[in-house]
Amino acid sequence: MILRLSRQAFVFSILLWCLAPKGHAGEKNQDPYAPVYTEPLSAEPLKDPVSRLIEFPFQLIKWPMDQGIIYTENHRLDKKAIWLYEQSVKQGVKPLLGFSDISAIPAYGAELNLLALSKQKEKFPDLFATATILHCPTIFFAVGSEIGAQKIGGTGFHAKGVFGYDRQEKEPFYGIGPDTSMGDSTSYRMETTKVGLEAGYEISPSIDINGGFDYRNVNIFNRAHDGKGDILHVFEGQNIPGVNGNNLLDYSITLQRDTRDSKDDATRGSYQKFLFQFTDNVSGATARYFKYQLDMAKYLQLWSPRRIFVARLFAEHNDEIDHGAIPFYDMAKLGGAGTNTRGSETMRGYVYNRFYGESSLLLNLEYRYTVMEYKDFKLKTAFFSDTGQTFNEIHEFQFKDFRESYGVGFYLSYAKNTLVNFSVAHSNEGTQFYVKNKLAF
Amino acid sequence: MKTQCGKTKQVRQALALVILGSWALSLTGLAKAGETVKFKESESSFYSDLFDQSIYNEGVNQLDLGRWGRKLFGKKLPSKDVNIFDEVPDSGFFKNRQGRERLSAEALEKGYQETPGPDLSKPLRITAAEQRGIYPRFWAKDARGDEYLLEFDPQGNMELATGAEIVASRFYYALGYTVPQFTILLIKPDQFQVAPEATTWEETGFKKALSQKRFEEYLMVLPQNEKGLYQASACKIMKGNYHGIFSFESRRKDDPADLVNHRDRREIRTLGIFASWLNHYDLRESDTLDMSVEENGQTVLKHYLADFNGALGSMQEGPKAPMLGYENAIDYGETLKSILALGFREKPWQKKWRLAGKKIHGSPTVGYFTNDLFDPARYKTEFPYEAFRLVTRADGFWAAKLLMSFSDEDIRAMVKAGQYSDTKDSDAIARTLIERRDKIARFWFSRANPLDGFSFSGGTLSFKDLAVECGFASKEGTVYHAEVIHDGRKGKIAQFTSEEPRLRIQPEWIPAKGEAKILLRVERASSKKSGPAVTVLLSADGIRGIHHED
Repeated sequence: MILRLSRQAFVFSILLWCLAPKGHAGEKNQDPYAPVYTEPLSAEPLKDPVSRLIEFPFQLIKWPMDQGIIYTENHRLDKKAIWLYEQSVKQGVKPLLGFSDISAIPAYGAELNLLALSKQKEKFPDLFATATILHCPTIFFAVGSEIGAQKIGGTGFHAKGVFGYDRQEKEPFYGIGPDTSMGDSTSYRMETTKVGLEAGYEISPSIDINGGFDYRNVNIFNRAHDGKGDILHVFEGQNIPGVNGNNLLDYSITLQRDTRDSKDDATRGSYQKFLFQFTDNVSGATARYFKYQLDMAKYLQLWSPRRIFVARLFAEHNDEIDHGAIPFYDMAKLGGAGTNTRGSETMRGYVYNRFYGESSLLLNLEYRYTVMEYKDFKLKTAFFSDTGQTFNEIHEFQFKDFRESYGVGFYLSYAKNTLVNFSVAHSNEGTQFYVKNKLAF
Repeated sequence: MKTQCGKTKQVRQALALVILGSWALSLTGLAKAGETVKFKESESSFYSDLFDQSIYNEGVNQLDLGRWGRKLFGKKLPSKDVNIFDEVPDSGFFKNRQGRERLSAEALEKGYQETPGPDLSKPLRITAAEQRGIYPRFWAKDARGDEYLLEFDPQGNMELATGAEIVASRFYYALGYTVPQFTILLIKPDQFQVAPEATTWEETGFKKALSQKRFEEYLMVLPQNEKGLYQASACKIMKGNYHGIFSFESRRKDDPADLVNHRDRREIRTLGIFASWLNHYDLRESDTLDMSVEENGQTVLKHYLADFNGALGSMQEGPKAPMLGYENAIDYGETLKSILALGFREKPWQKKWRLAGKKIHGSPTVGYFTNDLFDPARYKTEFPYEAFRLVTRADGFWAAKLLMSFSDEDIRAMVKAGQYSDTKDSDAIARTLIERRDKIARFWFSRANPLDGFSFSGGTLSFKDLAVECGFASKEGTVYHAEVIHDGRKGKIAQFTSEEPRLRIQPEWIPAKGEAKILLRVERASSKKSGPAVTVLLSADGIRGIHHED
């Protein structure tokens, strides 16, 4: 049909040309815009047959994608979803979505704002009462609650009570110290129940001091999985403190200063956090130790807010006292992306919880630079190096025990909120890939 | 003998007319009113356009062997809808307006108009609304029963978006594209009346009945001028049946008049150039409209460009963001370059923004619209349409020629349509457009062969050197190289040069039957290298064709 019309068009063109006045000076009368063509108008295929064949499988995806997108937009499903989320938060239920360090399965849950749910938030604007539930299938389950005041009597004082229960289904464990082997891989299931109180004072918008006391019950269970042996068999004959669980009391004090321009996507400023904690047992077990922790990072702009150099230092030392012991699960841990709320610190070339030790020293250096900006969207590339080690006593620290990993990351954010963090890191134990929705620091 | 010849000519012409009449319908693809023409609805949306252009096509284009072949061997894909004179004939997509005949200042300012705008002799009935971000837009019916879409300016930027929409519509229309009617509407709050059946798409994504109270809430976020009037761009809703959008890539197979793939249409390819002139970064397929209408008893499909409030210094939410026009929404090339440069590459828009002290210096009405670091070769629309990348030198020359057909006064006349309250703003916009027109034309006239306006009379082939006429190149030192070739014969018949834009053609060079090809190249004193050729086909009857090298 088209071919026939094309021929018709061509014949018509020729006819028009026949009708056009002719002559040496006749050009003046010619219509330069007349539909007179050198060859019939026709539509050739946009691509050659081989290219069309190569594209065919992708076309099978394109159509449903397009239809899905158009349906979503026509029915404003995206807006409805955002509205539902906002309404849910406003009513007191904040949906949570995240990723654990050891699984690609997303974690989901909700944070309930109990004051908002009971319509008391306006009456008590400085108070808060939350309950959180978070689940990552086969990885963890956690519930928690916090009740307190952000400001007491309009001053900088704040206080809260906390309750939490979490069950980690498969916490990896490879032994204690800097020279453990990946071959000794095992994992354990850990249940923690915690009740505590915290109180503090906000000295300035960037400086806060906080003291806390809590009781913890920790239960450790064997868990054989993926063909790996359970923790007691793999480390049989070794003294793994805390492997039978514990009842613990923690007394802590934290001083922190934070001058970053954004917690999620900082381009300048710094933070420093000092933690001192004393842990004692309550059931005649051996756990009794001090914990000293230092976490600090500086965000330096390299002559442009688009180029950020971040240096982070993390150090932790746990010191047993009165012949006490430090439970292995409370030791300093390194490995993974470091984005878990509880877990090991950022050493991205190694798996999560790869290194346990009474002490740890970690230096993260990261160069982040913006490679794409479009309206409020930003894509950053990061090159990073994570160098750290765990060790037991201070005198056992040796430079040769440092482990290094390095890698590259791509961070997509919208209005300074990280949407996707895709990172690849390499170490002498292989390559790790991460897809997260937040940054490690 | 003379009479016999005359009769033969008359018979030939009459016969041609008869055949012409019977073939005309099928040729133009028009269908009789009674005939059932089923145009499918070709749906698209912002996000599907984003997915198709920035993700799908950017990916599968890398699997296109022909595209790689063209890249490797430097082959161009010529436009297919150009006639023997290298021009674009009128079609459902394009109608030669300013190109054919210079429009009057009044016509330029008026643009496409069916009515003077909404009739406010009675309150404007709001029939529907939609909230986009914090700002609403309304569908309204006036006293005449005509329907309009009303879009407003963002707070703090009175006249920015509405002015851009009106002005850009005038330019596209004068260039030759089909646009709906756009007029400026100044209206008092009490001249609105919410229809009882009115509904609104809230920002929540839910459709609700539009109450008077909600309507008043919408009005509260809109800026008013010092007289308390709201300013809107009023787009008249076209009569006819809606058939979705038109692709910048492929033709509509259900439209018998649509014979050429759209990416091979010169007027579609050069939309990217015109968008760069008007700083229309969000020129998108998803903002086009295909409407079927009855015209002279025929069902025809009209291809509209619509939605221009992202032109000039504006984007929907306010002044244009600094990167717009310099990068696609997802720009793999720019991103890769930045990754490899480890962040030490300053992109042109970043440099421009830095030099501007990271703030907009112009008036809030003008927005971010300057020619600093504007590069006609590097302008990018929001999505990377392949058609815009296929622009050849011949296409670029055609577009530049069309741009230069607008005088400074013409441009001022079209900017006047924006009804800017401060003449400094309209002057600033017009000045930028004039400078930008020159930058674009200078670029294309230097890349392509800039000869045009050919005429053959008394054995002399005359032409215009548009680069010289526009003041982009010096007449001094310009030499025109000509080669004469016969169809079907190898080798040149003659080769000569001229310093004047006319050539003496010897009668013996033109064959009695057939045509002589005159290949013309231009050499400038500055480059001492002749550029691409323009081929003029000459027969005993005169000029039979013109072709600029792609």
